[in-house]
Amino acid sequence: MTIVAAIYSNKGGVGKTATAVNLAYMATLAGMKTLVCDLDPQSAATYYFRVKPKLKCGTKGFIKGGQKIKKNIKGTDYKNLDLLPSDFALRNLETAFYKFKRPKNRLEKTLKIFEAEYDLIIFDCPVTVNILAENILNASDFILVPLIPTTLCVRTFQQLLSFCRKNNYDTGKIHAFFSMVDRRKKMHNETMAMMLKEFNGILRSFIPSLSQIERMGIDREPVAASAPGSVAAKAYQNLWAKFQESVFANPGLNPDL
Amino acid sequence: MQIKLKFSLPDDCNQQQLINALADYYAIKQEQPVLKRLAIYDTFDWRLFKKSFVLYTNGNMLFLRKLFKNNIIHNTEITLPPVFIWDFPDSKLKNHLSTVLKMRALLKLTELHYRSTVHHILNQDEKTIARLVYEEISLAQEKTTPNLDTCLWLKSVKGYPKHCKKLIKRLKTAGFVPRQKEDIYFKAMKRAGKNPGCYSSKLKIQLYPALRSDEATKTILRYLYQAMKMNEANLEKDLDTEVLHDFRVAIRRTRSALDQIKSVFPKHTTRRFKKEFAFVGKLSNQLRDLDVYLLKEDTFKTILPPFLRDDIEPLFDYLRKSRSKVLQKTIHDLKSKRYAQIMQDWEAFLDDPVQSQPVESQSVESNAGVPILFLARKRIHKQHRRILKDGGRILDNTEDEILHKLRIACKKLRYLMEFFSSLFPGKKIKRLISQLKTLQDNLGDFNDLCVQEKYLLNIIEELRATGQKQKKVFVAIGCLIGALEREKQIIKNEFAKTFTNYASPGNKNAFSELFASKQKGNDP
Repeated sequence: MTIVAAIYSNKGGVGKTATAVNLAYMATLAGMKTLVCDLDPQSAATYYFRVKPKLKCGTKGFIKGGQKIKKNIKGTDYKNLDLLPSDFALRNLETAFYKFKRPKNRLEKTLKIFEAEYDLIIFDCPVTVNILAENILNASDFILVPLIPTTLCVRTFQQLLSFCRKNNYDTGKIHAFFSMVDRRKKMHNETMAMMLKEFNGILRSFIPSLSQIERMGIDREPVAASAPGSVAAKAYQNLWAKFQESVFANPGLNPDL
Repeated sequence: MQIKLKFSLPDDCNQQQLINALADYYAIKQEQPVLKRLAIYDTFDWRLFKKSFVLYTNGNMLFLRKLFKNNIIHNTEITLPPVFIWDFPDSKLKNHLSTVLKMRALLKLTELHYRSTVHHILNQDEKTIARLVYEEISLAQEKTTPNLDTCLWLKSVKGYPKHCKKLIKRLKTAGFVPRQKEDIYFKAMKRAGKNPGCYSSKLKIQLYPALRSDEATKTILRYLYQAMKMNEANLEKDLDTEVLHDFRVAIRRTRSALDQIKSVFPKHTTRRFKKEFAFVGKLSNQLRDLDVYLLKEDTFKTILPPFLRDDIEPLFDYLRKSRSKVLQKTIHDLKSKRYAQIMQDWEAFLDDPVQSQPVESQSVESNAGVPILFLARKRIHKQHRRILKDGGRILDNTEDEILHKLRIACKKLRYLMEFFSSLFPGKKIKRLISQLKTLQDNLGDFNDLCVQEKYLLNIIEELRATGQKQKKVFVAIGCLIGALEREKQIIKNEFAKTFTNYASPGNKNAFSELFASKQKGNDP
């Protein structure tokens, strides 16, 4: 069974792409055949993997799915880790969904073709709260939300939860974790304590704010590949372990993971 | 689609020259070499090779693949080197091989030492677009050991087919030649001095219809002598029970050939060696009996009611202890002067060229110069008719002793048919052998049960003499004897049906068609 996880946030600059790239790398180290789908027209994940941001099938081909989309898959430099690159044209994805019947389930249908091939599919999502977000919510088994422990971030997380409740999406599959944490800041510590108290489903693992993670733009590698054993690599390792625990806890998913 | 191609290197090309050849076109990132050690296993009689399997270990993993294929069929983790299938951890691999390996032990045939260096071929973004793996394989880790093979693997990266095609073209221009389908297994075996499939417990003797009977018989006997020697050399190692079994079968076949291929050698020679090989056979009777009982341990235990299964344990402990003593005695006996003399004389006799006198000048009774096809037909047909006659009588009176005699007669016929199978159309003789085998199995099962019953009765006395105090073991043995007796009756009742099938008009006609006497020297 393929597990589909989306790294999603309705707030920008929270570390979604770094999380998607590093978790995908951790999954392959654990022996899982993994596909990263870069849904963000900014193509940051594509850039991190040193792949050209080009989808030969275009947005239309992307939405239609099938063999055409399969041809766009690129092998990364890492064993068992593939990438469906992004393209600037994906900025039109949201309007393109409306051309199909049941537009909110189109993404799920598009990616069906990869289910036999991969153990894990990770979406690197753009900042969105419209039809693409609904497609992501429908297609994913898990929604991982990076949260910077700040007031604005808490606000957007609350917005996401109320959006889900209002539109009958299962909030049980939403798992947040703290990102870009600076433990020296009093506000970060207080916000984290408050959120752990008030919200269910927050993973007890956080990614610190580290220059090693920022260097990913220069190294163009997951941190565990460029600096194995570093604090950043260990933080993602820990996050991966917590993510696995959540998968195990879900009886509907593969217990062999 | 991912491409994985293997190239031969141009003469005197090493790793550095490979990099130089491509440096003008690509940036290349070289990884540290990775070492791995593979050990290849098979049984003494090449059971895996015969089924095109390659079983090997790499670290604490055991892998199974097919010859000429790289994809792994099954793998499993192991803690000890693989020997017997029952010691394998429960896995798909164990299930896959249990019917192939059965009771045979695995032997380590050779080790392969790999040294692989991955070269990443990079584009302008320093992204890997293909991988080249420089691979050196040798039989030992020492650098002085000459390489068994050096090759270059090209592994494409998904999404970069054009780059890969270009790279293939450039490699070809630089003198790298794509390899045809091959398997390192054969090179490794050759270098290790092993000849895959060189031993089989089945007879594979090629005879020609017009061959003199004495020469043909010697060909058969030489083949059996080789089987005897090959197994004898491994008896002391106590690899598995089948080494002794094959050794004994070769002796039994030798005795049967001397007895059944009549009047091809001087009478006194035949008489002497028949006697000598009867003696050689007896040397290991006791050891084989013990092997059979120990192999049946699980079967015996399942026959018993569950509450008695543990109580039979002292019997098998006793048998195991007896076996190690008897094994030492058998090895000692096989090192005796008498045994050595018999084998030496036998080898000298087999090496002695046959006297090629014309048939007319030999005594009337001698079959030495008769074409083997004529003698083979005559002997097989006669033995077949004897079985039909004896078997027909048994249908009215199935006494244990008569069934035993019929079993021996069947065995002799089976051996004759196997000795001479190359003289007859393959399909036809195989069908007849298989028909005979069904009858033999019935008689064999019956005989085994008779012998086991008798042995268990005797063992009670032996166990008492060793001071065995647990009375439950005797209850368990009694229960076992009862179960064996019931099974014996079932098999006995099946005899009539099995024999009627064997003596069916169709089978009789097939025998007559193939073996009924024809003029001397006629080809089939």
